[in-house]
Amino acid sequence: MSAQAGAQAVVSKIRRAGVKLLLVDDDRANLLALEAILEPLEQDLMLAQTGTEALRMCLDHDFAAILLDVRMPEMDGFETAEMIRRRERSRQTPILFLTAYRSDEQLFRGYDLGAVDFLFKPIVPEVLQSKVKVFVELSRSEQLLRQHAEELARTERKFRAVLEAAPDAMVITTEEGRIELANSRVDRLFQHSREALIGRNIRTLIPEWSTPDSAALARDQPPAEVRLAAIRHDGSSFPVQITRSPFRSPDAFLITTAIRDATDQVEGEARIHRTNSELERRVAERTAALTYSNEALRQFAWAASHDLQEPIRTVLAYAQWLSQTTRGTMGPGAEQMLEVIEQHASRLNQLLGALRQYIQVSESGQQQWTLVDANAAAGAAVSNLQTIIEQSGASVVCESLPTILSIEILLVQIFQNLIGNGIKYRSREVPAIHVSAESKENGWVFSVRDNGIGIDAKYFNYIFGMFRRLHGAEQSGTGIGLAICKSAIERLGGQIWVESAPSAGSVFRFFLPMGERDEKSSHISG
Amino acid sequence: MKKVHIFLAEDNSADVWLIQEALRRQSLLFHLDHYLTAQDAINAVRVYGSNDSPVPDLLLLDYNLPGGQGSDVLIAAAANPKLAAVPKAILSSFLRPDEMSEAANMGALCFIPKPANLTEFLRDVGAKVTELLLQSGAISGKTTNA
Repeated sequence: MSAQAGAQAVVSKIRRAGVKLLLVDDDRANLLALEAILEPLEQDLMLAQTGTEALRMCLDHDFAAILLDVRMPEMDGFETAEMIRRRERSRQTPILFLTAYRSDEQLFRGYDLGAVDFLFKPIVPEVLQSKVKVFVELSRSEQLLRQHAEELARTERKFRAVLEAAPDAMVITTEEGRIELANSRVDRLFQHSREALIGRNIRTLIPEWSTPDSAALARDQPPAEVRLAAIRHDGSSFPVQITRSPFRSPDAFLITTAIRDATDQVEGEARIHRTNSELERRVAERTAALTYSNEALRQFAWAASHDLQEPIRTVLAYAQWLSQTTRGTMGPGAEQMLEVIEQHASRLNQLLGALRQYIQVSESGQQQWTLVDANAAAGAAVSNLQTIIEQSGASVVCESLPTILSIEILLVQIFQNLIGNGIKYRSREVPAIHVSAESKENGWVFSVRDNGIGIDAKYFNYIFGMFRRLHGAEQSGTGIGLAICKSAIERLGGQIWVESAPSAGSVFRFFLPMGERDEKSSHISG
Repeated sequence: MKKVHIFLAEDNSADVWLIQEALRRQSLLFHLDHYLTAQDAINAVRVYGSNDSPVPDLLLLDYNLPGGQGSDVLIAAAANPKLAAVPKAILSSFLRPDEMSEAANMGALCFIPKPANLTEFLRDVGAKVTELLLQSGAISGKTTNA
């Protein structure tokens, strides 16, 4: 309920209840006359014929005014007034004396007893009415004021209860930081007595406290949390999280600062930070170790392939030399054996060559990313394969391919292996290879289609592994070609897959992403 | 015909025979200074030209030698001004691109691969050596097919 609405309710209640007036006169006729005069005021009129009766009524009721006849038997008006004044409840009640005599002595005594006015008989109704009206209005205002004060006190109690119930230490300050109010959590948090803090500056508690930006207040933004250092009574420092919320009261600009001990939070954060940096350190160590072992492995593979190459090349060359120089002079069995030596030495030589190619492709090397015309890369691959293309009579058709950001030697190797495979694993038909590319949203899908023997679906993943072969010695594969392709394509950020069925030919497809620096890919007719 | 003087650093004696056979098939008359280790080869290239010892017409260096590499011999050769005009070539089964460019930086004129196939080996190595000797003027054009 708003204050205004509350006040209106109070006023209407008072109107309904009316204001009580006490009329005291020993003469019943006078009482009735007074009652008649005051009737139009529509207030509660209570009548007493003796002072004793009047006093009794004063015990039970609050009156806006008492009209008291001076001359009464037993207890006269003045005595009655004296008694009324002695009582707490009626000490302030305005008393109007009714008298027939104008005597200074009477007036002095009356005013001494706290009379507010004298009315002289015979009573003039209009005068009585207007005088009483004043007291009725006065009483009403008083009641209203009392109600307002009670309302205020209630609000204040509510406000303090809220302040006390808050989980944080709450401090209300002026704009400059002077502490007006603080809840009991402030005592506990800062080990200061609250009373001692009132009137001091909040910077005693939080040296870096500042008046919040009033522009932010105007924009109706939620108050921001700020982490600051706070100081206890004993001078020790601890972190706090504060929220400042300014509000403008009619006479002042006040700031409520909620203060929360952030020690646990700060320690938690420090723990997380420590854990994170420990994790990062371990990852870095692990990465370094892996990089090192990768590099060591690569160097080992390279050296091994090199050292194995020399002897096998020599064996091959000398087997051939022997076979050339002794042709026709050895028995047919010996010639056949020499041929087996040659065949196997040649195969080992081939394997080592492929292995080196694989190492080069997977190398963490320095090959440059450039704009590569895929037509030229495919052309280079075809020219490298010239011998087997001619021997097999294969046809290789390249559609127009894009220019992409890539590493040229890798792209050549990919095409060379895929086209070479299409020819090597031929069916009874003359090999026909078709190379094409299709633009996708974020890259290109290249396809190398052949009419070869095809691959069973269960081998679709197997074939991309190292030294994986599906065919015996009648096919000349090394089992490394597709592993090279996979490694090269992965280095280019893409992926490779195959679509095939036995005796239905194969389509090897690979996706290469459009690099960030990739320019608008242009088709180059080839 | 003039007898050409060829310096050869090669640890694989099987290859030495093949190289000799390749040169013979080019109908070249030659004298071979052959060293088996990097150190021996380095010592040899340092003294060429002094004491009136004859300077070879061609340096053939295997890339992998016991105790060093062909490029180490190239460095020693570069320090001997008497060998400045002598063509130098690196022999190997294969070289990585970085090894090739290193050899070129050290003053190797070319890289001669050692093919695994005998016929190719004899043909290619022989042809390349002849080409280098012709270029440097160590032999005249009459030994070629042209």
